[in-house]
Amino acid sequence: MAAPLRGVLAGDAARWRHYTLAPALAVFLALTLLPIANLLVMSVHDIRWEQGVAQWAFAGTRHFAALPGDQLFRDGLVNTALFAVCAVSAELVLGFVLALFASRVVRGRLFYRTAFLLPILIPGIVIGAIWKLAYNPDFGVINQLLGLVGLPGKDWLGEKTLAFASIVVVDIWHWTPFVFLLLLAGLESLPQDVHEAARIDGASAWQELRHVTLPMMWPAIAVTAVFRLIVSFKVFDEVYLLTGGGPGTATEVLSFTVYRRFFTEDRIGYGSAMSVVVLSLLTLLIVVSLAALRRQRDEA
Amino acid sequence: MSIATAIPRATRLAALVTFAALAPAAALAQKVAPITVVINQSPWFGGFAKVVEAYEKETGNKVNLDVNPFAGSAEKQRSSVRSKEGQFDLLVMNSTWLAEFYHGGFLVPLNEIDPAFKLDPQVIGYDDTAYWDPKTKTNSSKTGQVYGVPINGNIGVLYYRADLYEQAGLKVPTTWDELLANARKLHNPPNVYGMVLRGARSASDISYDWMPYLHSYGGAIFKDEKAGDFTVTLNSPQAKQAFDMYLELAKTAGPPNPGSYGQAQVIQALVTGKAAHGTPVIAAWSQMDDPTKSAVVGKMGVAVLPRGPGGQHAPTLGHFIGAIPKNIPKERQVAALTFLKWFQTYDAQLKYAQAGQPPIRKDVYAAADFGKKPEYRWMKAMVDSAPYPRMMYTVPEGAQIVSVIELRLNQAVIGERTSTDALNTAAAEIHEIMRKAGYKTGRLPDLK
Repeated sequence: MAAPLRGVLAGDAARWRHYTLAPALAVFLALTLLPIANLLVMSVHDIRWEQGVAQWAFAGTRHFAALPGDQLFRDGLVNTALFAVCAVSAELVLGFVLALFASRVVRGRLFYRTAFLLPILIPGIVIGAIWKLAYNPDFGVINQLLGLVGLPGKDWLGEKTLAFASIVVVDIWHWTPFVFLLLLAGLESLPQDVHEAARIDGASAWQELRHVTLPMMWPAIAVTAVFRLIVSFKVFDEVYLLTGGGPGTATEVLSFTVYRRFFTEDRIGYGSAMSVVVLSLLTLLIVVSLAALRRQRDEA
Repeated sequence: MSIATAIPRATRLAALVTFAALAPAAALAQKVAPITVVINQSPWFGGFAKVVEAYEKETGNKVNLDVNPFAGSAEKQRSSVRSKEGQFDLLVMNSTWLAEFYHGGFLVPLNEIDPAFKLDPQVIGYDDTAYWDPKTKTNSSKTGQVYGVPINGNIGVLYYRADLYEQAGLKVPTTWDELLANARKLHNPPNVYGMVLRGARSASDISYDWMPYLHSYGGAIFKDEKAGDFTVTLNSPQAKQAFDMYLELAKTAGPPNPGSYGQAQVIQALVTGKAAHGTPVIAAWSQMDDPTKSAVVGKMGVAVLPRGPGGQHAPTLGHFIGAIPKNIPKERQVAALTFLKWFQTYDAQLKYAQAGQPPIRKDVYAAADFGKKPEYRWMKAMVDSAPYPRMMYTVPEGAQIVSVIELRLNQAVIGERTSTDALNTAAAEIHEIMRKAGYKTGRLPDLK
C-alpha cells in the first residue's frame, strides 16, 4: 500500500475530510460562485450586440447609481417587503393551526394530511390558471359565491387596492401546506411526557399550547419563518401569471422588475446590477435571520 | 393532323401543362433536414400550425414547433442567436422585436443561402420590414437585402357588434369621434361595455393599442425616425389629443377597470358578448365565429380602424416575420428557407386564409369566392387597412421605450396621473434612453 494512502487510512481524518469535500466544493464553485462572479462583472458593464458579437463597455457604478431613480425598482422593493411580511405571517399562523389540528385528529388523519398538502403539489402555471379563473370579475367562482349571498362582485385583479391582497391570498393558499408540513413534523417530534405532565398538573388546552407547545416549537417555527421569508422575497410566478405587476405598479415585485429589465428590455448590465442588489438584500436577510436563530438557541 | 396523332400530342401537352403547374411545388418539395421553428402562442397560431401540417404532408419534411408565450418566444430567440450554435432554424419574430435582431446582426440574408431567392411580388410589403440595410440601419427594399418572409399580416382592426349596430341604426364609424358616440350609445354596463381597450401594462398592451390613435392624430414617438431625427414628440399637443380621446373612451364607455384589460381579456369580452367594440389584432378573428369559443357567432363586424382629425387611418403593424439565424449550419438554413419558399406560395397562403388567418399575399385577398362568403368578411377590413399600417419603432431600444409608455399610460388609465403628466413623464424618460444610447435627440417643452 502506498505511503500517503496508508497515512490517510492511519487516521489523518482532517485531511481525509478535505479530500472528500473537494468534489462537492468544486461543483459548488462551478454552479454558484461562477455565475455570481459573472453577474458582478456584467453589472459594471454595458453590453450591446453588433454583427452577432457582444460589445462590452465598462460602466463602473452607473447602473447601481441609477437604481434609486427607477420607480419600478423602488415600488418593487416596498411591495416585496410588504408581500413577504403579510404572506409569511398568515402562512405561519394558518400552517400552525392546521398542523395542530392534524396532529390531534384521530379519525381521517391521512385524509386531512393529504388534503392540506394538495396546493403545494400543483405546478405554478396551473395555480395561475386556477386563480385567474377564480378571480375573473365576470365568470369567476369568487364573485359567483358572493352573488349567492347578495354581495356585489369585485374586480380582484383589476383594482389596485385589491390586486395586491389577491396576490398575497394566492401565495398563502400555495405555501401554507409547506409551513404545515414542517410544523407538523416539529409537533410530532415533541416529547409527549412533557404534555402529559402539564395535563396531570391541570393545565388547560390553552395553557398547554402557550406554555408547553409553543416554547418547544419555537425553533421549528423560526426556521420555517426564515425559510419562507427568503422564498417569498423571490416571488415571481403569481405576479407574472396574474397581474404582470399592475395595475400601475400595485403588484410590482423585485423579481419581476429584474425579469422585465433584464429579459424583456434586454438591459443586461442594468438588470445584472439590479440582481446583485436583490442578491445582497437576500444575503443580508439570511445572515440576520441565522444570527437571530443562533442567539435564540444560545439563550435557550 | 390525324386524330391518332392528335390524342398522344394532347396527352403530352396535358402532361407538360400538369408538370409546369406542379414544377414549382416539386422544386420546393425537396427533401431537407427537419427544422425547429420558435414561435409564440398567439391567437393566429392555430392557423399557422394547420399550414405547417400541410407542408409536412406535401413535402415529407419535418417541422418541429417550439411554442411559447409571447415574451418567452422573444427570450428564447435571443438566447439562441447569441449562442455559438443556434437551437432554432426559423425565428418567427414580432415586428416589435425586429430592430433588436437586425441591429444585432444575428440574421442571415436569404440570398446568402440561395442567391436566386426573392420575395414573391405578391407578398405584402409591411413597410419593407422583411428587408434590412446594415449600412444605413434602415428597412429598405431599395438598398437592403431580404432577410425574412412575412409569416402573419397582423394589424389592429375595429371589431364591432354588427347586430347591435343594426338594432340601434348605427353606421360603422370612420373617425374616433364617431366611434366614441357609438360606443356611448351601446354602453350598457355590466351587460355590454361600449368599448373595451387594452389598457393593461405588459410587454406590449396599452402602447400597441394607443399607437393608432397617436399616429392618426398626427403624433409620433419621434419627430422623424426614418430621417434619423429622434427628437421625442410624445408630449406634443397631437399626442395629448390622441390620449385624451383614448381616456374618454375608457372612462365613458369602458368597463370599470380598463387598466387591467390585456389582449386576452379584450378578446374574451368580445367573444362573450360583453363588448360592443374592441380593437384587437385581426388574428383574433378566428375566435369570433368559432361556435366552441364565441357567443357572438355571425354577429361581429370588422372594419379599418377609425381615422383622426387629420383624416388618416393608422393601424399599427403587429405582423410577424420568419427569419433565419446566422449561427446554424448551412444545411439547416437551407431547410428553413425551403419552408419559407413554400410558405409564400399562393396555395399555402390560400390554406392559411381558409384557416381564418390573414394571408401575406395580395392575390389571396383578391380570390373571388372570399368576398362572397360571410365567414371571410374580415378580409375587406384587411384590404381597406392595407395602405395605412405603421411600425411602432425601428430602434433596438424599442423594448425600453415601450416599457416606459406602458407604465405611464397605464397609470393615467387607472387614475394615478393626468394625461399631461403621463405624456410629459414618458417623453422625459424616452429622451433619457435615447440620449444615453447616443442618438441625435431632444424633446418638446412640457405640455401645460
